[in-house]
Amino acid sequence: MMRTTVVLAVIIGLGLLKLPIERNLAALHRQEHFHGVEFNLALREKLGQLGFVAALSGFRAIVADALFIQAHAAWENTEWGRMLLLFRHVTTLQPRVLLFWDIAAWHMAWNASVAAMNDQTQPRLALRVKAQREYFALGKDFLERGIKNNPDRPDLYEALARLYKEKYKDHERASEYYAKAAAVPGAAPWDRRFSAYELSYCEGREREAYDRLRLLYDEGPKERLPTLIKQLKFLEEKLGIPQDQRIQEKENKVGK
Amino acid sequence: MTDPAVAVHGLTKVFPIPFHRQSIVAVKDLNLRIEPGEVYGLLGPNGSGKSTTLKIILGLVSPTRGRTEIFGRDSRLVESREAVGFLPENPYFYKYLTGKETLRFFGRLCGLRGSALKNRINELLDLVGLSKAHNRRLGTYSKGMLQRIGLAQALIHDPRLVVLDEPTAGVDPSGSRDIRDLILDLKRRGITVLLSSHLLAQAQEICDRVGILADGVLVREGHLQELIAIENQTELIIANASDNLIREVESIVKRSNAELIERRKSTTTLERLFLEATKKNDDARMSSGEGATKQK
Amino acid sequence: MTNAENTSTLQPFNASTPTKRYRPFSFSRIYAITINTVTELTRLKVFYVLLVFALVLIGSSIFMAQFSFQQEFQILKDVSLGAMSLFTSLLAIVATARLLPQDIEDRTLYTILAKPVPRFEYVLGKIAGVLVLLAVSTVLMGAAFLLVLYMREQAVIHTTLRQMSGAPPDQLADALRVVRSSAFNINILPGIVIIYLKACLLAALTLFVSTFATSNIFTIVVMAFIYFIGHLQATAREYWLHEHSSGLITRIFLAVVTLLFPDLQAFNLVDDIVAGTAISLAVFAKTAVLGVFYTTIYTLLAAFVFYGKEL
Repeated sequence: MMRTTVVLAVIIGLGLLKLPIERNLAALHRQEHFHGVEFNLALREKLGQLGFVAALSGFRAIVADALFIQAHAAWENTEWGRMLLLFRHVTTLQPRVLLFWDIAAWHMAWNASVAAMNDQTQPRLALRVKAQREYFALGKDFLERGIKNNPDRPDLYEALARLYKEKYKDHERASEYYAKAAAVPGAAPWDRRFSAYELSYCEGREREAYDRLRLLYDEGPKERLPTLIKQLKFLEEKLGIPQDQRIQEKENKVGK
Repeated sequence: MTDPAVAVHGLTKVFPIPFHRQSIVAVKDLNLRIEPGEVYGLLGPNGSGKSTTLKIILGLVSPTRGRTEIFGRDSRLVESREAVGFLPENPYFYKYLTGKETLRFFGRLCGLRGSALKNRINELLDLVGLSKAHNRRLGTYSKGMLQRIGLAQALIHDPRLVVLDEPTAGVDPSGSRDIRDLILDLKRRGITVLLSSHLLAQAQEICDRVGILADGVLVREGHLQELIAIENQTELIIANASDNLIREVESIVKRSNAELIERRKSTTTLERLFLEATKKNDDARMSSGEGATKQK
Repeated sequence: MTNAENTSTLQPFNASTPTKRYRPFSFSRIYAITINTVTELTRLKVFYVLLVFALVLIGSSIFMAQFSFQQEFQILKDVSLGAMSLFTSLLAIVATARLLPQDIEDRTLYTILAKPVPRFEYVLGKIAGVLVLLAVSTVLMGAAFLLVLYMREQAVIHTTLRQMSGAPPDQLADALRVVRSSAFNINILPGIVIIYLKACLLAALTLFVSTFATSNIFTIVVMAFIYFIGHLQATAREYWLHEHSSGLITRIFLAVVTLLFPDLQAFNLVDDIVAGTAISLAVFAKTAVLGVFYTTIYTLLAAFVFYGKEL
């Protein structure tokens, strides 16, 4: 009896001791983007009992992967609604896997949107366009939430920039996001260039674009790619840059 | 005066039963003293507290009241176990180890090492008659063989006291005979033996002194011969006596104050008969090449 | 039978025979028990079944060819590391749960403790044996996993080289860089170490539970319960310390869970490592220290309870 009391007292005492250590560690984990499982009953409903217990017991990644495979199967069956739901679960479980956000957005903005546009069962064009736009928005949403969870990695900024460029034709936003991507360590070397290109398509911001491109050009041969040179020359013409400030490149240089 | 091998002072052990107000009194106010070099038998029916007493002496269980000592050192100290070896009741040991590996394990636990350990192992295997079986796993050993390897591990560190809990329980007669011979051998070497048993006939053959426990209380104790000798009776065993001689002896007795109680043919014991019969079989098998594991 | 008497080291008892010096702490005693425990556990069938199961899982993820290589590597890593985590946790609990009951049943516990072996050394030797076994298993599975990952990486590289044979060199280099970075990530190694430490914690905790448990099954059931609650401890902790609106009973319950149970979620870092999160030295060191702390505490508690245990 004595012994039991001592043991219980020791455990509780140590419990009090370890409390600040564990909290400190948990805060450190969160800060460094280690995302544990958020225990909430909504999750349990989404995953079902087994999935919930598995996710909780340290097999979150496997549950997410299993759901991802199901989402893939749903895509092959063009079950867009179910696919969307599964991708929501997958990204909730594994917010740090860029792949999931990226593919989810791709399915929404590139695949589902096209399917909605070509939907034979919907005769009215206006409604088809509306559905398409909704899918664009879903794609955008995935990427924005993905960015919120992964502010330290460039990939999703780049993906969102592409989405703005190709689907919304919004060059200003595209430029903005390429610039954001470029600011993150590990960004692709072309992000700065692409940001400047996109800016050059924006009405009223050609001067800004020209300045940026000029700066890049001045950095050296690495940045002097054919597209950059072409764009620079185009802006020089448009803005009427004096001859002595223009770049010295052969006019009919045909880049590969 | 040298310390007794085992000293038990006022030992009481009470086992509380959880969630009950009563408890079990396994041993009640026990006092014992075992001198070095003797073979002491702690006898009693099942549940009389024999095993508990042995475990307390070995420090495996702690007393509720009282004290036990081995060669003057309190049982609760780990050092006191340097001088004692223990063979528990119904041992199985590690089934997946061979005889040799088992002894090596226990030897290492006692601080033995290298060639000293190796020699010791070989010697003990020889002593208990398991040299042929040393490479077989204990899972294949018979009960008698397990008892013998158990005895070997108890002796691995050259103890001055050996404690045996029911050493011959469940062992066949020839195995029993081997164990009893081993115990007598230990006695010849001056090693003190404390054993507990409920097989009284066997205890009778080897013990010098016995103590009888009943319900945790020592009810009788003393030298075996003194205890079982029937004071006023004498046995004469005569070989080749003619009928005349017997009638003469009987009439002498009639004329005296003594009384003839019984006359009968001497009997051998069933055990001896059994051993002789099976030994003949054993010999026949061994000479025909089948491996027997016993070695005398 | 006594023909060895002439060359015997069993001397007849002599009152002047010096008694051996007893060493209160001996590594060789602990080592003997450790090696014995490892040997005992490797004879367990369940060890081999679990090991084969884990290896099969690791190998089976080869058949994920229908996805892109990034997805395939993701799944391969998740499944393999999940298998490793599951196997080491299970082995830690199942193997340790049977140690004490088995020794009692075989009576070897009595023979060991009847020798001059302190109870503390016995406990230490047993847990050390389990920790060694877990380490060997972790290394074996880790090696198998890395081998499979390497083989798949090489296969994808060859395919890429073939497909991009006409491409400019820097584009090719870039493509190969992407393949390599989605395959092996150096952070996986500290992640595996943390998996191992979690298993060590579970083993020590199981040993502690087994010192007062009534049977093997009891220990395993209790440990399953602790495993589950341990993964909820983090949430209970936050609720207890932040939510001020819950009732008294709830708060007491949450406090009990927080103080009594270890936070097992803290050791599940590998999911995020595979997702690409880098593990800094601070995170690794603190998590590792927490693991060692728990393992040590539970071992000491086990020794303490065992010290007073009636055999």
